[in-house]
Amino acid sequence: MHTRFTTFLTSIRSQRWAATALLVAATFFVSFAAQAKAPVDPKAAPNEFVQAVADNALQAVKQDEAVKRGDLNRINQLVDELILPYVNFEKTTRLAAGRYWRQASTAQQQALVDAFRGTLIRTYSGALANVDEVSRINMQPFRGDANADDVVVRSLVTRSNGPAVGVDYRLEKTPEGWKVYDINIENIWLIQNYRNQFAQQIQRDGFDGLIAALNQNNLK
Amino acid sequence: MNNKARPLTRRRIGLTLAAITVTLASGCASVQQTSPRDPWESYNRSMFAFNDAVDGALLKPIAYAYRDLTPQPMRSCVSNIFGNLEDVWSAFNSFLQARGHDFFNTLGRVLFNSTMGLGGCIDVASMNGAYKIKNDLGTTLGVWGLGTGPYVVLPFAGSSTLRDGTARLGGFAAGVSSLTPIFEIDNVPVRNSILGLYAVEAREGLLDADEIVNRTAIDRYSFIRDAYLQQRDALVNQRRADGGTLPDYSDDDLPDYSDDAATVAPAN
Repeated sequence: MHTRFTTFLTSIRSQRWAATALLVAATFFVSFAAQAKAPVDPKAAPNEFVQAVADNALQAVKQDEAVKRGDLNRINQLVDELILPYVNFEKTTRLAAGRYWRQASTAQQQALVDAFRGTLIRTYSGALANVDEVSRINMQPFRGDANADDVVVRSLVTRSNGPAVGVDYRLEKTPEGWKVYDINIENIWLIQNYRNQFAQQIQRDGFDGLIAALNQNNLK
Repeated sequence: MNNKARPLTRRRIGLTLAAITVTLASGCASVQQTSPRDPWESYNRSMFAFNDAVDGALLKPIAYAYRDLTPQPMRSCVSNIFGNLEDVWSAFNSFLQARGHDFFNTLGRVLFNSTMGLGGCIDVASMNGAYKIKNDLGTTLGVWGLGTGPYVVLPFAGSSTLRDGTARLGGFAAGVSSLTPIFEIDNVPVRNSILGLYAVEAREGLLDADEIVNRTAIDRYSFIRDAYLQQRDALVNQRRADGGTLPDYSDDDLPDYSDDAATVAPAN
């Protein structure tokens, strides 16, 4: 009788303990999830690196009140903060300019990089603009040589209100770790899509004309 | 009565399109060519401007109104039902391309969505990880080895190439396309309403992409042309690169940029 009573007491106590533990764990988990921002290691495997960067951006976009109201400038700001540090946009700009790059002066090159920056931010924002509460980034299995210096990482951004969007990243290995230099949204590579536009603008109005046109776009 | 009206309407549409094409083709100024794949650029730019005008005056406002007036779940439902019809056509094309895996996957999608998804209203297949595998006759011809031919902007329909445009119009005329089941409806008002809804729904789906283009393009015409060509090429290349069973994420379709700067290794 006595032992049974003790067992009963112990079981109550252990139940209560379990409940408390669960509550603590839940609180911890929730606060952790709300904090979100996971550390990004540019020297990790390409897939993990991209996943970390993209997840941080997705979390931030999902939680931001201004974004929920449809504030595009806020998305741009988040992209600038969370994605651009991992993007080599100098290389993006250089490759988009192609053979015209060498013909420009250093000052012109720098001006072009600065002018194109806004367009790049808006493009990366575009990949994030349609996410909703249930959106997730599913990394696709990495194919290719993980030891290569130039790799492609593929992902699918799922959402509830439409088909999944394929977003791929092209990365290069630098001494500081991986850097993204090209993005592919639904089979459209960014650099590829600007080569003709750059060439066409330069042929018509010169290198400075292109810079002016890009700056004009940034004002819109 | 209804059966008579059908070919007549189609012929009338055809005549109108032909008339517009001739008018535009003769009336346009010559423009400097910006892409080797776009030899008809001056005609294309005129047609692009025409489409843009029609779009801005008619389609786009209707699409926005549709978006504002209907709840999101309803739009998803409509879009999924049309998507389900397209899947049938995609499956058929996967079959033509001898891609058994894609064929059975898409067929499975159609069966699953038509039943569990309440007639295609809910895309339950995607929710369970069976994502859409887009396919069409133009891609099939590409996989069979036919090049795209020159880029061409079609009246109303927009970006296309000689290959894809011919496949689309040919399939349409021959009565084999994703819209065939709709054309089989004998009640003309019902049929036309569904076709109208199809157009509005399709345009609504493009509103966001449109917005991005407006915010990022230097020249909208070139942007849209190059995006379209890239996308079409990717569809064909992905299907050619492997003969295997996995969904295709092969690397063969990477664009090759010759990097002129000596500071870094060439990017390929």
